[in-house]
Amino acid sequence: MFFRLLMESFRRQRRRKMLAGVAILLGTTAVTAMLALATTIGDRIHKELAVYGANIVVYPKADLLDVKVGGVDVKPASGGVYLKESDLEKLKTIFWANNITGVSPELPLQLTATRQEDGRLFPARTVGYWFDHDFGTLKTGAQALHPWWRLQGTWPLVHSRDVVVGATLAKQMELKIGDSFRLQGMAGNAGQPISLTANIVGIVTTGDGTDSEILLSLQDAQLFAGANDAVRRVEVSARTKPEDAFARVDPDSLPPKQREIWYCRPYANSIAYQIREAIPGAQAEQVRRVEQSEGNVLKRISGLMWLISAAALLAAGFAVSAAMATAILERRGEIGLMRSLGASKGSIALLFYAEAGLLAVLAGTMGYLLGSGLAAWLGARIFAGDGGAAEAVLIPVLLPVVVALALVVAIAGSTPSIRAALRMEPSAILRADA
Amino acid sequence: MSEAKIQTGPLVDPHGETRDDCAVIALKNVTREYAGHGSTVRALADATFSIVAGEWVAITGPSGSGKSTLVNLIGCLDRPTAGQLKIDNVDVASMTATELDRFRADKIGFIFQQFHLIPYLSAIENVMLAQYFHSMTDEAEARAALVRVGLGERVSHLPSELSGGEQQRVCIARALINNPPILLADEPTGNLDAANQTIVAELLQDLHRNGHTIVMVTHDPEMAGLAQRRIALSHGKVFCHPVGGPMVTLRR
Ligand SMILES: Nc1ncnc2c1ncn2[C@@H]1O[C@H](COP(=O)(O)OP(=O)(O)OP(=O)(O)O)[C@@H](O)[C@H]1O
Ligand SMILES: [Mg+2]
Repeated sequence: MFFRLLMESFRRQRRRKMLAGVAILLGTTAVTAMLALATTIGDRIHKELAVYGANIVVYPKADLLDVKVGGVDVKPASGGVYLKESDLEKLKTIFWANNITGVSPELPLQLTATRQEDGRLFPARTVGYWFDHDFGTLKTGAQALHPWWRLQGTWPLVHSRDVVVGATLAKQMELKIGDSFRLQGMAGNAGQPISLTANIVGIVTTGDGTDSEILLSLQDAQLFAGANDAVRRVEVSARTKPEDAFARVDPDSLPPKQREIWYCRPYANSIAYQIREAIPGAQAEQVRRVEQSEGNVLKRISGLMWLISAAALLAAGFAVSAAMATAILERRGEIGLMRSLGASKGSIALLFYAEAGLLAVLAGTMGYLLGSGLAAWLGARIFAGDGGAAEAVLIPVLLPVVVALALVVAIAGSTPSIRAALRMEPSAILRADA
Repeated sequence: MSEAKIQTGPLVDPHGETRDDCAVIALKNVTREYAGHGSTVRALADATFSIVAGEWVAITGPSGSGKSTLVNLIGCLDRPTAGQLKIDNVDVASMTATELDRFRADKIGFIFQQFHLIPYLSAIENVMLAQYFHSMTDEAEARAALVRVGLGERVSHLPSELSGGEQQRVCIARALINNPPILLADEPTGNLDAANQTIVAELLQDLHRNGHTIVMVTHDPEMAGLAQRRIALSHGKVFCHPVGGPMVTLRR
């Protein structure tokens, strides 16, 4: 009978339930959308940023010895140990080779640029890169690993004496595309001076130190360095599985079976490990770009979303409370009658709470679906760039959370009116209901 | 009224003491006051009388004289502000709220002028609701009760699909489904036409024959005439007089 009462009350009085139902529905829709965005925004931003740049860097193991001297970049070009450019072919043989989406070797040098018009000297860090280099099935290089670089003109061709100049340096030297200047340096440790006339084919804007640098093909840089086949540092981007606790363990401390599992998962760590194995004398490490630089922003954005969720829930709570008050006021005759039939206050309260609960579950589930749709729609608009147009964000764990919230709101919202209705004298209700 | 204050019948001994032992309903100086705006309204004042088991009593009096107040007190929907009310030899004041609910489910059947049917429940479900709050639902029994009031064909109709008379019969079926010893009817025919009034009157007569104690509020002299005794109220004060057949028949 209890369920029959509930069912009939819903089946035959659908319109009466509407007001409270719609209040719950709207509240849970907003909450679901916000929660879905708040929980996925991290993933999505992560995904967005993963597009940018390397997640693994490779450099000579010998660099580990002089960490105190400073980072890789400040080492004198001639004084370092090199990796072999030809060894990079071995990246194609590692277990997760197919997950590698970009490779960019670098060879930095300290050269001097001379304006031909007035002989002014500009000492400039000069870096050799791959530009649109054929690497197996990939066409990769500096631009692929630095998608935010904005180039005017073209990238230098191999063995062309073409260079690209950073925007800041170009401004200092008062040079533009089509101009040329002299580039000088000492080849290798032997110190044989080399000088050539460089043609500016492009100007690059990067927003970082590269704006003051000169970029040229790796082969030309190797010429200046007097070191054929030399590479100072390699940036690698790879599709990886998000890092979890297992990803961070030291594989060499694992039993063989576990190690095997670790090895065969595309963690950035595993891929770096495989690169170390493949390339002699190489140290490879994961770069945590998102966590390091974007973590704070992320935290603030999701904080804001949580706040909006809470506000939406609170608003829903008040709306439900008002709607319930109306619904129960309308039905106080029923309460009076039930009392006359000998129903205890408890059993009547249970009945009304069950109705509120059922309404919450129904409206909450619908709100969950609607909110997930809304989140997908919003997500597609916010992250329009990544091609994941309106990809559905149905997060299953959110369903119980949202329904539980709806329950809390419906029960808390209806408590005042249920209690008020039960406090009324049944005789007075039956009289007033004439 | 010439016979005012005459206390007759077997319920009251020559010394004016109520004989509680065979009374199913016994009031002793029962008063019910309502706190109004600034003043208190005395809806029932110092009522003392008894009703024995199986008796059919009509309560009459002008509007506002306290009839509904009296019925609600007997039905344990309300408690006296003063005096003693015993139903089935149990002092209502001694019972907790929960006990009172239980007591009401067991002992009392209400018939209302406005029927008070649940609008979204069918006739049979309305009857079963009383079973549910009493103990367990029994669809066959509920159906039998509706057949008994002549509604065997309309069990699954909603109240809005029934005439006033039919609704009142559902209300009666609901009131008697748990077989309570006491039936309280507050103007049961107040909203009915003559034909339906006759049907309801016959049903009440039938119930009376089956031994139910009936307390019925009515403005209708014809209905009041069916009862064995009339309790007249005026400004919350009680006047008892015998109506109809000799009181001796009430002795158990
Ligand atoms: N809950 C209440 N609060 C205040 N006063 C009340 C309340 N219930 C009844 N009264 C007052 O008590 C008096 C008796 O009311 P009651 O309903 O018992 O009269 P009645 O005889 O049933 O009248 P009617 O024939 O119109 O139904 C009236 O004056 C009424 O205004
Ligand atoms: Mg009345």
